Amino acid sequence: MNLTLLRFFLSEYRKRRKKAALITFALFWGTMSIIIFLGFGQGMTAQFRISFSGLGQDLIMISGGQTSRTYQGLPKGRRVYVYPTDIDYLKARIPEIDTIAPESYNNWAVSARRKEINRTVHGTTAEFARMRTQIPRLGGRFINPDDVRDGRKVAFIGWKVARDLYGAEDPIGQAVVVNRVPFTVVGVLEKKLQDSMYNGPDADQVYLPFSSFGQIDSQPYLDRIHIRPREPRYSLLIEERIRTLLGRKYRFDRDDRYALGIWNTIEDAKEALAIFKGIEVFMGIMGALTLLIGAVGVTNLMYAVVKERTQEIGIKMALGARRRVIILQIVLETLFIFVKGTFWGFITAFNIIQLVRRIPVNYDSFDIGGYLLRPVFSLETLFIFLAVVGILVFLSGIFPAVRASRLNPIESLRYE
Amino acid sequence: MIEFRRIKKVYRTGSQSLEALRDLTIEIGRGEFVSIMGPSGSGKSTLMNIIGCLDTPTEGEYVLEGRNVAGLSLDQLASIRNKTIGFVFQNFNLLPYATAWENVELPLLFNGKKGKQRRERVAELLKAVGLLDWKEHRPSELSGGQQQRIALARALANDPPLILADEPTGNLDSKSGEEIMALLSRLWKEGRTIVMVSHDDRIAAYSQRTIHLFDGMLAD
Repeated sequence: MNLTLLRFFLSEYRKRRKKAALITFALFWGTMSIIIFLGFGQGMTAQFRISFSGLGQDLIMISGGQTSRTYQGLPKGRRVYVYPTDIDYLKARIPEIDTIAPESYNNWAVSARRKEINRTVHGTTAEFARMRTQIPRLGGRFINPDDVRDGRKVAFIGWKVARDLYGAEDPIGQAVVVNRVPFTVVGVLEKKLQDSMYNGPDADQVYLPFSSFGQIDSQPYLDRIHIRPREPRYSLLIEERIRTLLGRKYRFDRDDRYALGIWNTIEDAKEALAIFKGIEVFMGIMGALTLLIGAVGVTNLMYAVVKERTQEIGIKMALGARRRVIILQIVLETLFIFVKGTFWGFITAFNIIQLVRRIPVNYDSFDIGGYLLRPVFSLETLFIFLAVVGILVFLSGIFPAVRASRLNPIESLRYE
Repeated sequence: MIEFRRIKKVYRTGSQSLEALRDLTIEIGRGEFVSIMGPSGSGKSTLMNIIGCLDTPTEGEYVLEGRNVAGLSLDQLASIRNKTIGFVFQNFNLLPYATAWENVELPLLFNGKKGKQRRERVAELLKAVGLLDWKEHRPSELSGGQQQRIALARALANDPPLILADEPTGNLDSKSGEEIMALLSRLWKEGRTIVMVSHDDRIAAYSQRTIHLFDGMLAD
């Protein structure tokens, strides 16, 4: 195909441009819909990932429970506890475990500078930080292995605890009294989105080295064991092996679902992601359907164009234009109309997304804003959009174009 | 050049059928200047359409330059119209939104002629019809005679051996008509075959031979 021929088509289109403001607007609107819908859909998925990983990434959490079946002569309704020794016990027997950390907690008075608040205080190890997304603010750190080994009196506090006790001041290096025992703050949790939790958001928690916690708490068993598999696909396998191993150790039926509390966030995330993906696809389809309305308008317009130009088409045929030249011209004009309408829709939608992203997210309480305020403009959006437009250009242009190419040259030449 | 062997053309509308051409056998040699005359409804236009490969006969054989046209695809017919035949119409049939230059350029574009070669050819043609200075004008800004000269330049774009002129002077004043006929005569003398429909004896007098049609048959 000759470039000059394309240029000729373009100049013909320009000279004969139809006034079609409503159709252009429909294309503009459809483009906005598809890009904004896709943007919010993808943004929600991304925000879900972020806020879900606020709890932790690829995490399995084990806690004690109560048997619901009799087992080897033992009655049902027995309490089952997990103990600090289980950490090494499980790690040694399940090679698929990457990291494992204990956690115990209690509600205590936490005070500093004559302010006293009641908060959940946790004892854990250094691994906990990575597993539970405990990212320290600049200048601080989480509990480290030496803290745990030496039973140091150090504490890592949530950012809300820091705000409540120290106001705008930097708490690092300052004293905090937990259950009447003084500790030194070594780190403050960085703000994060968190939509899943068990004792309230991490922003409100205080963390101590596991050994130091043991010195002020008399509870012999653990509240929770945190496990991260080497690979997420091992999660169900690990879950089963834990039931088997601990079932043997504490004498309960491995199929007793109530003997242990197991929270498998990997499986939860899979389900939730599938739902979010579904929403994304749904929104994409809604956007595409909106654009389809514009496309129907374009088809109508192109039929009118073909009718109006019957004689010219006849002239071109007499001069030796092949069918594909006639088809190409109509399809290209359809494309020009689409480009005009969608271009501004595209620019507008892009800017709306960028503007919405500037609205700050409220970290204090997790709400719907956390999901909606971070729409995304991704390469994927662009490709989906271009594919939809491509298909619609073809569909709206091809039928009028084929009709034009099938015109009888003699009748067309006589058409007035 | 043109051989019609027992050409029949029947138009059907619903249950009615109209025989526009009946067993027409004509031969037009290379380099001939032939005019076709006859009253309206005699089949002149149908004959021209078939010669011009815009229409196909219902029965019979049409051989153009040794090639049987029956059974060719639409695109093959388009290619013949593009390269072998130049059309001149009574009402000029220029593209109203295109300039004189673009109108002449169009058959060259359809033929896939490349940049410089094509531009030179357009300039040469416009010069030959004396309208190079008018290349940026649209048909509505040109007189009838000028429009027909543009149409003639367009017909010659791909240097076709055959020119089909359907009442080329029908919409022109006598002076412009004479100019067009002079141009056609010159083309004929250069060796082209010219087939022209006319109902004006003075115009037909430019040709070597006149074919008279009546009721779809040769009148003589």
